[in-house]
Amino acid sequence: MIDIEEIKRLIPQRYPFLMLDRVVELKVGQSIRAYKNISINEEYFKGHFPDAPTFPGALTAEAMAQAACLLLKKSIPDLKATLFYVTNIKIRFFKTITPGDQLHIIIKTIKMTRIGGVFETQALVNDEVAAKGEMTFACK
Amino acid sequence: MPQVDNLTLEKELREIIAKIVEIEPDKITLEAKFVEDLGMDSMMALEILAAMEKKYRIQIPEEKLNMLRSLKDAVKLTREYL
Repeated sequence: MIDIEEIKRLIPQRYPFLMLDRVVELKVGQSIRAYKNISINEEYFKGHFPDAPTFPGALTAEAMAQAACLLLKKSIPDLKATLFYVTNIKIRFFKTITPGDQLHIIIKTIKMTRIGGVFETQALVNDEVAAKGEMTFACK
Repeated sequence: MPQVDNLTLEKELREIIAKIVEIEPDKITLEAKFVEDLGMDSMMALEILAAMEKKYRIQIPEEKLNMLRSLKDAVKLTREYL
């Protein structure tokens, strides 16, 4: 298990843009499972949407990217890169995510290198697929 | 995996590259340079490497990424690990 303090040591994102609370499973070089508790207190629910609070798909993609960064950092511990930039993303969304949900992110490595990686991504709520796809990001 | 002849390999790799770089397959000649002629960047090259590995169920070391500069290189590199 990786708690929020270790997550903060590994990736540069901070409130209000830290999209993971905890890592529950890690297979170095292969996969990671992390989750975020979705709370109505999040600022973006004021506008997305006022009468129907819905977790933005863009933030689901961000949660996936952050989990993939964690997997990369834990798999290549001497990696000097501190910043990560998504360069390609293809995600299909199946379910809306709302306050009270626990969003689980599962990332599997397709190709991992020191300059970046290609990952298979999945977001689950109650073990049902809410979104899935593929993303590539570069390390700087 | 059954043996793939060079022409088939070239055709399949051209399709993979065209999809990733989002250009017409016929613009990808054997000699066209990925960066200079096709506008590719290092992360697209990484995606091509990943797609080659997936398609042919091979493992290509990260160090070989620098050698992937044209379709001709992609054919040669795939052939090396098949």
